[in-house]
Amino acid sequence: MVFSSITFLFYFLPIVLGVYYIVPKKCKNIVLLIASFAFYFFGEPTYVLLMAFSIIITYIFGLLIDKYQKTEKAKIFLALACIISIGLLVYFKYANFIIENINLWLKHKVDFINVVLPIGISFYTFQMLSYLVDVYKGNAKVQKNILKLAMYVSLFPQLIAGPIVRYTTIQDQIENRTHTMEKFALGVRRFIIGLSKKVLIANVLGELVTTFLASNEMSVLYYWLYAISAMLQIYFDFSGYSDMAIGLGKMFGFEFLENFNYPYIAKSITDFWRRWHISLSSWFRDYVYIPLGGNRTTKIKWLRNIMIVWLLTGLWHGAAWNFIIWGLYFGILLIIEKLFLGKYLEKLPKIFSHLYVLILVMISFIIFNGESTSMILQNIGGLVGLGNVPLILPESVYYLKSYFIVIVIGMIGATPILKNIATSKKVEKIANVLEPIFLVCLLVICTSYIVDGSFNPFLYFRF
Amino acid sequence: MKNKIIAIGFIVILFVCFALNIIKKDEEISTSERRKLAKFPTITLENVVKGKTSEEFDKYTVDQFILRDSFRSIKSFWSNYVFRKKDNNGLFLKDDRIYKIEYPLNKEYVKKSAEKIKNVYEKYLNENMNIYYSIIPDKNYYLESDYLKIDVKDMQKVLEETLKQGALQKDALPKMEYIDITNALTLEDYYKTDLHWKQENIKKVVSTIESKMNLKDTSSINYEIKELGDFYGTYYGQLGMNVPPDKITILNNSVIENATCYNYETNKTENIYDMKKWQTSSDKYDVYLSGAVPLITIENKLNQNGKELLLFRDSFGSSIAPLLLENYQKITLIDLRYVSSTILSNYIDFENQDVLFLYSTLVLNQNVLR
Repeated sequence: MVFSSITFLFYFLPIVLGVYYIVPKKCKNIVLLIASFAFYFFGEPTYVLLMAFSIIITYIFGLLIDKYQKTEKAKIFLALACIISIGLLVYFKYANFIIENINLWLKHKVDFINVVLPIGISFYTFQMLSYLVDVYKGNAKVQKNILKLAMYVSLFPQLIAGPIVRYTTIQDQIENRTHTMEKFALGVRRFIIGLSKKVLIANVLGELVTTFLASNEMSVLYYWLYAISAMLQIYFDFSGYSDMAIGLGKMFGFEFLENFNYPYIAKSITDFWRRWHISLSSWFRDYVYIPLGGNRTTKIKWLRNIMIVWLLTGLWHGAAWNFIIWGLYFGILLIIEKLFLGKYLEKLPKIFSHLYVLILVMISFIIFNGESTSMILQNIGGLVGLGNVPLILPESVYYLKSYFIVIVIGMIGATPILKNIATSKKVEKIANVLEPIFLVCLLVICTSYIVDGSFNPFLYFRF
Repeated sequence: MKNKIIAIGFIVILFVCFALNIIKKDEEISTSERRKLAKFPTITLENVVKGKTSEEFDKYTVDQFILRDSFRSIKSFWSNYVFRKKDNNGLFLKDDRIYKIEYPLNKEYVKKSAEKIKNVYEKYLNENMNIYYSIIPDKNYYLESDYLKIDVKDMQKVLEETLKQGALQKDALPKMEYIDITNALTLEDYYKTDLHWKQENIKKVVSTIESKMNLKDTSSINYEIKELGDFYGTYYGQLGMNVPPDKITILNNSVIENATCYNYETNKTENIYDMKKWQTSSDKYDVYLSGAVPLITIENKLNQNGKELLLFRDSFGSSIAPLLLENYQKITLIDLRYVSSTILSNYIDFENQDVLFLYSTLVLNQNVLR
């Protein structure tokens, strides 16, 4: 079930909200657990058992790690739990990719296995790993109630596309959280903004991206349109989803951490990754980079650690070479910045450092979206007219005119300009009065797009 | 206060929509979109486990959503006037006319369409026949150059190249001549809310065809013009915006009035203008030769010259066929979208008829001929 669907908005959500607020406090977690399993079952009926199995394993190993805290056994149990969790992830997500690449070297080919990627497995596996590591390190209290642990893992607002909510972030909220009108309203506001980002910007630009990919009438202008639209689409899609997740969390009394902070205004790639998918980059920092020694080691090992983290970040996004290249591309850029470019970037006029980030990130998303090396090279080369591509053709002019306003809205929306205006003291009073009307209008317009449109993919579902 | 309004307002909207959706009676069809709406899914263990029930339920909730048409109008309005998008789901409005983008030219599909025509040619046609083909431009062809549109000349080139390959070059087979009708039409000759041409505006097309096929010129005939009423075309429902309706008009004279149409599918004989369809069909254009029919023969009772025309056609053919009747005793219309070319000899004796392949760019650009 996707948030931007009639099923979720006008069937699932009112029922769950209604029941949640009617039942007494002690039953609220059970309501959320049942709702979350129903939510997952609706989209992934078969794999709900896999998720339940993973939860049981995490629960048992959590108790064992806690019982043998600070002994060798705890380490062994942690290792076992990690092997099982990561093993399941590798089997369901990477097995066929591994087979495909092994087959390149084998005479007698290995048969592919018949598995479909379970929705959200990358997100909930990382959440469970963070729980086990935190229990092992003593940063988190072990959860002795399996239902509460199951509720944490399966919590539907963040289950299928993040953000990766760590157990330590909400362990106290699971036991005791507040529900206020203000928090609920903030949640509604955040949810509707996220829904609009997804439905009105990401989906609309997604149509342009799809049209470009199906077209035979390539021109330099069209390559640029594609690159910019894809860049905006992925940002609005994913940050919109995170906004909806955070908003829904608030409606049910939770406070999740922010996952995006206007990444396209970053002044370096290092800065970009502090603002983009924060929950993932901080997860890799805390559970891979630092345990490997981080930067408190020899220079060679430090560089190795960076490349390992970015190789894994790429792989996390998908079982394909383009994702690995994408991850390594960022690893190399970050190393270059850390070794010498960073200090020059700081001295550059803002406009140049912004352009530097935007162009490199734009290229990264061409790699991210590329289905083959030749397609990636063609789409990057097309930006500068390689391959005798004409400057403009009628199709590109038509789509530029057609999507111009949406692209401009997207560009403005990717910066804090609108937020700054809305919260400035000069317009605060008017904004306060107009906000409820504005939100209702957005909800109605989003509903009209959902009712009319069939183009509604969630890019981050495949992770 | 503001937070209260936002929180309560959101809850009220969700619950009211939920309640109304539950109360609302499901609809069978959408008249504006001219399609069947999704029904509540059949729940079986197998469907649930395979995720089919969820998929069907999603479709059901979208199709049966309260005030669906109004919401679609809001989307159209927003897309058109706020985002200033040039099209909405491929449709756009310009000067009160609705257009659908048919772009780009799909050479592979055009080749496949040409192959189907060639199959008919090779299997059934002979040297005693006069064979012609023509392409009906979609109305976008007559728009200014900054709109995306298929160039009919490019399409004809692809068609001709494919038709020329192989058997068509054999001496035993006559040439197939192209009839260019692009100059016989203008934008005004098409309905504003539909893809089709207006019967009352295509006399110039008829003249061009008659001239090329060496037929008697019928341009001086004065048809009785009868306006049947309002016509909301296919594009009207798809766009979901308020546009004034067209009018459907039929041209009549004694030849048309006395002609009979035999429908091979129903084994029934009807009139050229099917007034029953006019009253009952959601697509009023079906008044011409009863709409989508695979095989139909029109007999001209007032002409015994023995001449016959085999008209391979799409829906545009329904409104032009009556105007070609003056020159023939019999016209057989074959719609290769609904009948396979492999079984035509079961119904038609291919002898020395005139043959005209008359297809619109919309059909040729898709792989729909059988």
